[in-house]
Amino acid sequence: MSGNNGRGITNRDIFGEVRVEGVTKKYEKEGQCQTVLEECSLHVQRGKLTVLMGPSGCGKTVLINLIAGYEKPTAGRVYIDDTPVTGPGRDRLVVFQETALFPWMTVYSNVTFGCRAQGISRGETKERAELILKKVGLYEFRDKYPTQLSGGMQRRAELARAMINDPKIMILDEPFRGLDAMTRQLMQGFYVGLFEEIGRTNFFVTHEVDEAIFLADRLVIMTFQPGKVKAEIDIDLPRPRDVRMLASARFMEIRGQAIDLLYEEAAKAFSAGSKTAYDLMGALVAQKGACNCLDDKK
Amino acid sequence: MKKISKVVNVKTLRGVVSVVFFVALWQLVVLVKVPYLQNLPYPKEVAVDGIQAAGSKAYWFDWGISLMRIFIGFIAAQLIGIPLGLAMGISRIFKSYTFPVFEILRPIPPIAWIPIAILFWPTRELSIYFLVFIGAFFIIVINVLQGVSNISVSLKWAATSLGARPKDIFWKIMVPGSLPSIVTGMTVGMGVTWNVLIAAEMIAGQGGLGRMTWEAYTNHNIPFIVVGMVSIGVAGYLCSTFIRWLGEKAMPWKRKF
Repeated sequence: MSGNNGRGITNRDIFGEVRVEGVTKKYEKEGQCQTVLEECSLHVQRGKLTVLMGPSGCGKTVLINLIAGYEKPTAGRVYIDDTPVTGPGRDRLVVFQETALFPWMTVYSNVTFGCRAQGISRGETKERAELILKKVGLYEFRDKYPTQLSGGMQRRAELARAMINDPKIMILDEPFRGLDAMTRQLMQGFYVGLFEEIGRTNFFVTHEVDEAIFLADRLVIMTFQPGKVKAEIDIDLPRPRDVRMLASARFMEIRGQAIDLLYEEAAKAFSAGSKTAYDLMGALVAQKGACNCLDDKK
Repeated sequence: MKKISKVVNVKTLRGVVSVVFFVALWQLVVLVKVPYLQNLPYPKEVAVDGIQAAGSKAYWFDWGISLMRIFIGFIAAQLIGIPLGLAMGISRIFKSYTFPVFEILRPIPPIAWIPIAILFWPTRELSIYFLVFIGAFFIIVINVLQGVSNISVSLKWAATSLGARPKDIFWKIMVPGSLPSIVTGMTVGMGVTWNVLIAAEMIAGQGGLGRMTWEAYTNHNIPFIVVGMVSIGVAGYLCSTFIRWLGEKAMPWKRKF
């Protein structure tokens, strides 16, 4: 891996691809067996931004843990390029749902954690850190602790901590959850810009339909319990992406398609008694147009 | 000037008012001879005795003895308790071997260890160190254990992904991550050790603030009993403040700005 982070070199071949092949994940809890993923297959393409959507409890986070190597599948295999995943690795770094910055380290120490763990020289670490911190706009905040940062800054610090290591694949598990609407939109713009500049393989999980379509090259929708891929939609909106696209006719068309698919799964989750599915249902009903949905229910 | 305005603010003024009010109430209680409290000395008598004591070497010698006992027993409890708690928190196997015994011994009040401590340790001094140790030991272990298990798994995963080895995970994640609980355990433990120390000194000790107070009782010197009590209160307060200061120094990330 050459140090091309953030220097605008977009040789996409150096990035990786993920193949999830027939993966099943079961958990046994108090004698009860729960199948979270069943025969799930998925291809995260090289140099593309793949977004995964699905109702709560469909095993999105489990799938991420399997790709990252934190957990092992009950059956099936996960491959990075052509190598099976056996454990966590620096080639695929995760930005977690709730912030996973180390609270006892300054922004600088957090960002350089990977470099220090690998024994990279102090000079090079500093050079890389300054570059990446300036890129995410946190250079002035390098000596602050995570709790002293705003939510958006924390997410940027986390992106920087991963990107400084130049991973082949970035995995993001609802990274903008909990941010206020304004910050969220700014972060989406910032993130999509970074992706378009570097062209790294990205695997992004979210709950938000608009966010998903705005970011994605390819949208993957999962089924509810047991989780597997329900549908894949290629998002052919031009890049670079722009907020104005959110109002384009093509965007609305894809959105309608995605919402229909999601609604079916959310309804399943809802009737299975998932509390969070209730929220998603509500949101989807609102987005679909209330009357339309009520008719469906009758 | 800045420093003065920092110390003399509304909060400290309220504190002064609370102390003054308490002393006034005390004076009143003695003055009107409230039933069962007629033996209580006037605040002035206690103050006179206290000032007199503060001028004597013997009084400060008792302070020294008590502080040294606290220091030795408390430090020993941390040195053994923190690694034990970390080990129990990190290794499930080690925990399942040690935790049951630990949980049986933990509810025994430290004061209940006094007879056996006196019987088994060759000197009274050693048995007091041991009792102070017991007072802080169980508390620190249980706090460290909880601290380790409260560390979010995503922090460990993130560190592993970034290339950290088990050694790095231990020193850079587990130890700082359990530090807040260690400080809590030390603060609570410090309170308990003073309880135990005073009881132990009254029963078995030679010298120390507890013994000093007990001797005032046997001499029927009531003002000096109160001097002893206040001294113990101040000593305990100073120790807790020290621990808190230590905690703030050790965890700069807990400061907001």
